[in-house]
Amino acid sequence: MLGFLLVVLLIPYLIAAYGLLFVKLRWGLRLFGVFIVATIGLLTAMFLVEAYPIIARDGVAVFLEARWDPVRESYGVLQALAGTVLTSAVAMALAMPMALGVAVTINELLPARWRGVFGSLVDLTATMPTVIYGLWGLFVLGPTLQSLVNALAGGTVMTTPYTLFTAGVLLAIMITPYAAAVIREGYSLVPKPVEEAIYAIGATRFEAVLIKLRYVRNYIIGGFFLALGRAMGETVAVAMVVGGNLAKFTTNIFESGITISSLIALQFPNAASYQYMAPALFAAALLLTLFGLVINAVAIYIIQRGQI
Amino acid sequence: MTAERKVEDITAKRMLINRLGLGLFALLGVAAVVPLFLIIGDVYIKGIDAINRLGGLWHFLTELPPTPVDERGGIGPMLVGTLYMTALGALFGIAVGFPLGVYIGEMRREKFANVARAGVNILVEFPTIVVGLFVYAVMSLAKEDLNKYLLYPLSKALSPLGGWITWFIGPLDGFNAYAGAAALSIIMIPYVALITASAYASIEQPLREAAYAIGGRDFNALFVVLRKAVSRAVVTAALLGTAKIAGETAPLLFTAFGNTYYAPFTGPTGAVSLWIWYAAQTPYDVLIASAYGAAAVLLTIILIIFIVARIRG
Repeated sequence: MLGFLLVVLLIPYLIAAYGLLFVKLRWGLRLFGVFIVATIGLLTAMFLVEAYPIIARDGVAVFLEARWDPVRESYGVLQALAGTVLTSAVAMALAMPMALGVAVTINELLPARWRGVFGSLVDLTATMPTVIYGLWGLFVLGPTLQSLVNALAGGTVMTTPYTLFTAGVLLAIMITPYAAAVIREGYSLVPKPVEEAIYAIGATRFEAVLIKLRYVRNYIIGGFFLALGRAMGETVAVAMVVGGNLAKFTTNIFESGITISSLIALQFPNAASYQYMAPALFAAALLLTLFGLVINAVAIYIIQRGQI
Repeated sequence: MTAERKVEDITAKRMLINRLGLGLFALLGVAAVVPLFLIIGDVYIKGIDAINRLGGLWHFLTELPPTPVDERGGIGPMLVGTLYMTALGALFGIAVGFPLGVYIGEMRREKFANVARAGVNILVEFPTIVVGLFVYAVMSLAKEDLNKYLLYPLSKALSPLGGWITWFIGPLDGFNAYAGAAALSIIMIPYVALITASAYASIEQPLREAAYAIGGRDFNALFVVLRKAVSRAVVTAALLGTAKIAGETAPLLFTAFGNTYYAPFTGPTGAVSLWIWYAAQTPYDVLIASAYGAAAVLLTIILIIFIVARIRG
């Protein structure tokens, strides 16, 4: 009944909000604000309720143990948590230098005419459907990385093209634009007098770039956290190339693994057949939600504190 | 200090570091966009070939998808599903996102507006699969009562209009196009809201005062007069947001679920992105080929929207 009321009352609520726009504008606008805050609150509450059975049964063990054995109704998501941390670490290590490169290339190196074009290309990288990245990762990037890594290591390091490392590299490509957008914004806000002062003391162009990057470090850190949030939550592309190793705990990035979001994507279709699988997956989603909330809150705080 | 003296001061070593450092930044910057060309090239080369092999463009856009033993097939039902859900999601996303953006952009001095702004900022970065799972949870909670009290009577009352109405309105299945559209709109709302907010926030104060002076009421000032100043940014936001949700997969996994037949939107509905996700992971060549064809179609749709948005913006 609760859900019914929720869905049915949504329509009069929005009509009321629109009506109020004409009569009392401020209150109408506030209703839209309430809508978005309520959505986030409801989402968190919903996951708490749905995850309650497994948390009541196992406590926090569901987050601290690495086992995924639906037949025994035994669930733990530590292996997925480790996978999320490892893929994100690989992705961030590759993406941050590229994001800095994009910001510097656009603001310093390119002639004004080409800045817009290059910026559009970077934005397009962010708009591309993630499933197309997954498709490319599945048939091109994975096999290429496998032969590349094995050739560099001089042995068989990657036994399969689909590993945590492949997922990390693919993620790096996908999240670079998000970090770059924040750094670009900060970089373009460096005051002209500061720039003139840097050149006045005889800095080379490269030295000036380094000083300016230090000047906008809050934006760089903020961009780092925003991109990290994206990397942890990305689902489809990762699920396609991560290997789908549900049960085994691994910290070797050249092995198949699983991440929290890809665990949900790959296992949820089977959840109806088991008693506790859906609650366990909702618990995983709750974990993902909390990560998202904390990481984004940190990013927003850092960017706002350090606004130039 | 003359220009020549300054050049002398910079030693050869610093000049070398300068060149190398800037070169490294340029290399990294280019490395970020090279994969884009590789992906687009890969998708179109294999995709166009696949479309020709599976029966030509028109056949591919309208026919049912191939089974592993077929040689021809298309993505008709998925294309219809994607267009329907994207249109609904974008409509709802703009309808809520635009006023929300005005609120957080214009009323910055209100405490609650800042709370809403933080909420929007968090929601725009939210893992999309979480949004899909949320809509699934609400749907499974509301479905039964919704059908019993609202949709059965409604579909009965509408039945004189003819059979076609059952394609759009009727008792809902656990997975349906409307749940998919709802998930897509939750993803689009913060996107539109943030761009609208920054457009409104960038209006200069004298212009705003002039708008209130000739507009009279708040509503006229904000939505009639100032609309002209921000319409460009808002249209761009709407187009880019639409391009974004047209390709989303994760939120549709547990809401629209996917379907390979032309079926009522009240039941499981196919989407191009879901088909790519499913078909690419099968071992059958013909299905993988159709995934590449579908990717080429999806990419074309998104590139067209993106380019239109860029030319306008």
